[in-house]
Amino acid sequence: MILRLAVAALVAFMTLPTLVVIAVSFNPTAILSFPPAGLSLRWYVNVLTYPQFQRAAWNSVLVTAGAVALAMPIGMAAALALARGRLRAPQLWATLLLSPLVVPGVAAGLGFLILGAGLGLLRSRAVLIAAHVALVLPFVVRSAWVSARNLDPALERAAASLGATPWRVFRRVTLPLLRPGLLAALLFAVIVSLNEFVVSLFISTRLTEILPVAMFTYVVNYTDPTIAALSSLFILATIVVVWLADRFLDLGGVFIHHRQ
Amino acid sequence: MRLLLTPALIVVAVFAAALAALLRYSVLEFVPGSLQTGGLTAANFAGILSRQYLGAVWDTVLLSLATTVLTLVASYPVAYALARTRSARTRSTLLVLTLAPFFTGAIVRTYAWVLVLGNTVWTWPVPMLFTPRGVLVGLVHFSMPTMILLLAAAISHVDPVYERAAASLGAGPWRVFRRVTLPLSMPGIVSGSVIVFAWTLSAFATPELLGGGRVKMIANVVRDLALDSFNWPGGAAFAAVALIVTLVLLAAVGRLTAGPERNVP
Amino acid sequence: MLARHVVASLIALVLPVSTAWAQSSLVVSVWGGNWKDTVERVIGKAFTAKTGIPVEFEVGGTIDRLAKARVAKGNPLVDITFTTSHVGRLYISDGLYAPLDMSRIPNAKEIAREALRSEYHLGSWSYVYTIVYRPDLVKEDIVRWSDLWKPSLKGKIAMPDFDPSHIITIAALMEGGNEATWQKGQERLKALKPSIVAFYSTDAQSQDLMKTGQAPVQVMLSVNAYHLQEQGIAVRLVQPRDFPGVVGIDTMGIMAGTKKAEAAHEFINLALSREIQSELVRALKAGPVNGGATVPAELRGQPGIFTTPAEWKQRAYIVDDEVRAKSLPAWREWFTANIVK
Repeated sequence: MILRLAVAALVAFMTLPTLVVIAVSFNPTAILSFPPAGLSLRWYVNVLTYPQFQRAAWNSVLVTAGAVALAMPIGMAAALALARGRLRAPQLWATLLLSPLVVPGVAAGLGFLILGAGLGLLRSRAVLIAAHVALVLPFVVRSAWVSARNLDPALERAAASLGATPWRVFRRVTLPLLRPGLLAALLFAVIVSLNEFVVSLFISTRLTEILPVAMFTYVVNYTDPTIAALSSLFILATIVVVWLADRFLDLGGVFIHHRQ
Repeated sequence: MRLLLTPALIVVAVFAAALAALLRYSVLEFVPGSLQTGGLTAANFAGILSRQYLGAVWDTVLLSLATTVLTLVASYPVAYALARTRSARTRSTLLVLTLAPFFTGAIVRTYAWVLVLGNTVWTWPVPMLFTPRGVLVGLVHFSMPTMILLLAAAISHVDPVYERAAASLGAGPWRVFRRVTLPLSMPGIVSGSVIVFAWTLSAFATPELLGGGRVKMIANVVRDLALDSFNWPGGAAFAAVALIVTLVLLAAVGRLTAGPERNVP
Repeated sequence: MLARHVVASLIALVLPVSTAWAQSSLVVSVWGGNWKDTVERVIGKAFTAKTGIPVEFEVGGTIDRLAKARVAKGNPLVDITFTTSHVGRLYISDGLYAPLDMSRIPNAKEIAREALRSEYHLGSWSYVYTIVYRPDLVKEDIVRWSDLWKPSLKGKIAMPDFDPSHIITIAALMEGGNEATWQKGQERLKALKPSIVAFYSTDAQSQDLMKTGQAPVQVMLSVNAYHLQEQGIAVRLVQPRDFPGVVGIDTMGIMAGTKKAEAAHEFINLALSREIQSELVRALKAGPVNGGATVPAELRGQPGIFTTPAEWKQRAYIVDDEVRAKSLPAWREWFTANIVK
């Protein structure tokens, strides 16, 4: 009983700010008031028509697509190498590949800024994409490795012995069996890249900045509920995605061990 | 097979190059007002030993410790419910509520607290926004999803059979928790605490937006130095310190946790 | 087939970003919020109507934008920069500004002498930093700078942390010195410390602190205070009786290396014209630099608004640009170490 009350209170704590944001986003005036003084969609309109958000959203799509397109195959290959490659110390290689996770964002951000400035690449999205690939790769490797470890090589050997070429074996046997891990990897990669903020803050310019950076710039310069509206859109999209992932991909199973 | 590893190693090499550029700048002299740098110097690191910067390091460590402890206490009940509940719907709901904020990004989540702590919902008896306690609230809130998931995973691996056995032997629920569940979920507690602590050490968005200039953690100082004062060498030195502190702490905890496990028969 | 598309898109991703639309616009660097909205609405629209050139904006804080400009030196991402007069000096000393061709800015002949800051930057409007407070939350009247030190205001004051020039200057003046001998005011400033509850890094933060009542007394820019009034927050601006408010003159400069110098000069000339200046006064409740601009009756004599050369001389305390620019790093460091902490 106490447990249930505690959990309810804690869940309320976790969700209260979200509810406040959504409520404030409908306020008709530029003041952040709760409860809202009325119901207006003007801030949602502002979000969708603000040129810098439009540009930033497009940048987010490009950078995330580029980063994920690179990180997925690289990470998958690395996961297979770790699981199958008969490496002498797979743990050590794994630690190396996962190392970017422990580096503070500001250190990586400033480092990429200095490196990018030195190479004169800061005006293009190259440094952004490179940084995102590096930040996203550990998630891909980790998720894919779990799947790769559980892959029974006997299945692949069977296919090969039936005459399939290595590429065919990969496409028809390996890849489908890796699918759960790869889907989780894809989900993580996209989420991490879309929300990446600290490193991107350092290396973005007005023309290349991604959406979280544009939101940050807006928050420190304006005090109207526009970001509340944009946040609400984010929250809604995420809830839908996560619910779908749990329903159809058993996302919960990735974290929670199921019992009969 | 080794070849498959190469592209990933190249990516890590690029990342390492960025860190190398950082470390290189940390030992170069800062020429105020320009991108040029002078010769090799230890002045940047010496400058960190000033009261101002050491204060930021100390504040960061304290805030991170407080965050970790509070997050642990707040997350355990939710994690327990998530792992043990038999209702699929409850589990799904808790999961969505836990995971969703995790995926909306730092700005969205911190902004929500700017509103709540900023007297939008009710007026706080003591100032919350732009104070350390406000930042603490934001940090705990930010860390809870991670901690909940890690704890829930650990708790779900504890066979409820042990809890039932203890209960059938006459132990009350609190005793069962203290003597059975808690110790058996210790790996999750440790890994969750380590991860939350390490992350909080390098927190940026939460103290930046909720701290209002008064609460500066290590990451905020680095940003100020690099992007405000345009002191890349100074910022690099401080960032290098943050990196070293994080690595040392993780290594130390790694040592501490490896010990007991090796002794388990 | 697919592979070719993939390669093509990958190449497009890493090529330097320059959409056709971005190349043809004039890019203006300015503070966000109310500032950008007003420049866009008043000057930008008129400029586009007149020349057909679209105007884009880069927003950020004063120092943020300076840092970004330094990184892009020689190949600027913006064409015109609005910044405070003394920070304009930092742009000049870094070689970030191009000298102005005054023959292309005929309207400059009409502006106050005080607005001709240098051959690289010209004033666009003026305001003061003064005491602004909420009479509904602070029951007593505040009429002079020295009132800030009253014990009844403990824990109620906020001031900027990015530029302490104003309070440092006032403290120095109170001790019989000025900005050049600012050390005289140090003890006085330290005495103010317990009264300060927060420091704001941005205009937005300052307005938040006032709106929520967390810091109902602030050293604030007059334009921001008027903006709060427009949003329905009742604040009172003080014309301090002991020392004047500290004047700020925002300036415009053209970036060295810009490819749109002609359009940039056109923009500045338009901004200095009587019509636009009058409109800026109405929109921002800032002071015009063009003496021929119309100032509505209710704004005459208000803090930050000067309409005659005499007013500029008497009611404005203008901190020396050179001293301010040179001292700013030292001021910031001392202030952060002794007052903010």
